[in-house]
Amino acid sequence: MFNNSGIAFKLSLSILSTTAIIFIIILGYNYQISRKLILNNVRENSKNLAFNAVNRIETILKSFEKIPENLAYFLKYSDYTKSELTNLIRTVVENNSEIFGSTIAFEPYAFDKNSEYFAPYFYKDNGDIKFTYLGGDTYRYFHWDWYQIPKELDKPQWSEPYYDEGGGNIIMSTYSVPFYKNIEGKKKFMGIVTADISLDWLEKIVSSIEISKTGYGFLISKNGTFVTHPDSDLIMNETLFSLAEAREDQELREIGRRMISRESDFVPLNGIISNKKFLMFFAPLSTSGWSVGVLFPQDELMSDITRLNRNVFLIGIAGLLILLILIILISGSITKPLRILVGATNAIAGGNLDVELPMSKSNDEVGKLTNSFLYMEQSLKKYIKELTETTAAKERIESELNVAREIQMSILPKTFPPFPDRNEFEIFAAIEPAKEVGGDFYDFFFTDKEHLFFCIGDVSGKGVPAALFMAVTKTLIKAKTTSDISPDEVLTRVNKELCIDNETAMFVTIFCGILNTRTGGVSYSNGGHNPPYLFSKNNGIKVLDGSRGMALGILDEASYTTGSVTLNAGDGIFLYTDGVTEAMDIHAKMYTDENLHLFLEKQKAINPEETILKTLIELKNFSSGTAQADDITIMSIKYLS
Amino acid sequence: MEIAENRNENIVILSLVGRLDSNTSDDLEIRILSRIDEGERKFIIDCSYLDYISSSGLRVLLLGAKKLNNIGGHILLSSLQAQIKEVFECAGFTSLFKMFNSKQEAINYLNNPH
Repeated sequence: MFNNSGIAFKLSLSILSTTAIIFIIILGYNYQISRKLILNNVRENSKNLAFNAVNRIETILKSFEKIPENLAYFLKYSDYTKSELTNLIRTVVENNSEIFGSTIAFEPYAFDKNSEYFAPYFYKDNGDIKFTYLGGDTYRYFHWDWYQIPKELDKPQWSEPYYDEGGGNIIMSTYSVPFYKNIEGKKKFMGIVTADISLDWLEKIVSSIEISKTGYGFLISKNGTFVTHPDSDLIMNETLFSLAEAREDQELREIGRRMISRESDFVPLNGIISNKKFLMFFAPLSTSGWSVGVLFPQDELMSDITRLNRNVFLIGIAGLLILLILIILISGSITKPLRILVGATNAIAGGNLDVELPMSKSNDEVGKLTNSFLYMEQSLKKYIKELTETTAAKERIESELNVAREIQMSILPKTFPPFPDRNEFEIFAAIEPAKEVGGDFYDFFFTDKEHLFFCIGDVSGKGVPAALFMAVTKTLIKAKTTSDISPDEVLTRVNKELCIDNETAMFVTIFCGILNTRTGGVSYSNGGHNPPYLFSKNNGIKVLDGSRGMALGILDEASYTTGSVTLNAGDGIFLYTDGVTEAMDIHAKMYTDENLHLFLEKQKAINPEETILKTLIELKNFSSGTAQADDITIMSIKYLS
Repeated sequence: MEIAENRNENIVILSLVGRLDSNTSDDLEIRILSRIDEGERKFIIDCSYLDYISSSGLRVLLLGAKKLNNIGGHILLSSLQAQIKEVFECAGFTSLFKMFNSKQEAINYLNNPH
């Protein structure tokens, strides 16, 4: 996908994505940890707030509890008259502004054997203290909760809070304490001492709990009834359970259950009157069984973390942007020389070796690469220069060799028929030069009107030395062949000349002959050459292998002999060099004398041009494309009359 | 062509394997001339495995023979196959080289001065 993108892009992408991942992980971790820290903090804070409120409330409640408890203690251990009792109760009501009423309610007939009810009650009414006796047929207080529950439970009891109609709409709660008498060593229940206590102060304590903007505290009674709450409509009108019922909120119901079961915990809460999310800590008041709840608005708590995280996120994004710019700048500075290098190398590849390569200032990888390219460019230049020179030199040598070859070939007679005015004989010759300059040659000329001198030769070796040696030999032959000279004499003379200062031991094989065009007589001499074939109309073909001597140029005292044969009309001679018999096929097998012999036997008669061309075709077929290793030279003479 | 070189006391024995032609004769020329320069004077060219010899090959042998003749050395040929012998005969070289049927005969000849 990114194969065609530049290094800068790939680098930016990989570094940025990695950094972004790391950043997101850090951000998430930071959020989790700070959230946890804040939650722990809130838990501690709310716990402190709640217990602080609980302690304050309990301290005050305890101080109120002491008053009826002291009365109960007094009643247990002292004897008292009716007036003493009423005075006692009156004093309690008069001296405690928070106590709105108090009574000492006796068991039936416990105070006065004649009276079923005895409960003198003092209470405040619009600032006045009033007195009445409780009890009667319409108010059998023995069966009321404030009397019966502490009696049955055998311990003091706070009543459910209530509104006191007479006390000016003040929330009150009655604290009922059972009192006893020791009669004949036994503890006998005598009645209940009560104090009706205003809970005004409770409201003040709980509402003093203020948490950020919308946090608050509240208190519920044993039944779940709201005793204090910022929303005054709830007070004494609703319970946690009625709210839970109305909202169909099981969690709220469960929390309510736990609160009135005197548990304490830190829980999330989906609001009490709205759906706002809160965290709440609740704790019970030990004696009354009431419960204090402290609510922390979650969004306000988390707003700090949210703000922190938003800031971290913004800083991170800014950082990533700066990083991106940096990467682009750095990778740009890295790839700029590379891009220039790419352009330069493309130009080099296109053949322009004079391209300026960017000079690298640094010694980093790019610098080293540039230096390598510089070195490569120079090496290429040098190599190409050398190659050009070598090629030029080679071409020069080759063209010179070709010139040598052409010169060499041009000194051989090539015009056929060479003597159009002579009809006593036919002569034809062909040379197929090998690729490398060789040393084959042939020649023929009249020494006088009757005598035709002919020769074929092959210089040892190849190359320019062989070509020069061949030229020298051919020239010498022509120079030494005078009229009335015998073939052996020609070879002897040429040999002596060739042997002079022949340090390289080059030699040449020559077969030469002289045809008497009048008689058909042929005298010949062979200096180490392949013997020619004699075509005889009457006797078929045979090898003319007489008068053989040493190749020329070796020993200056070498001697040669002359043989003779007579050609009748239609007879002929077939001369060749070893290029013929040593022509090779694709398996490097040579053509051989035997094959040549068989081939010539099939020719019936000799017709120089036809026979030579056929032989060349035969050799071509035999070698079937294999490169020719040596010159192939054939010459043929046919005597006519 | 391969040139295997052995010695028998002061005799250099060069065994030629394959074809001695214009492509390979330079190797042999260099070998013989460098040995002569090093002071070797007795050579046997073992032709048991020589399949072909061209005029270039003949020239090299001739060159060696000429150089050695001038300084009193010898170059002998041994174990020539029929077609090789024929080339020598054709070029009239048989009178220029002493030829032996085996290497040992050539060694014996060199070890018994005449």
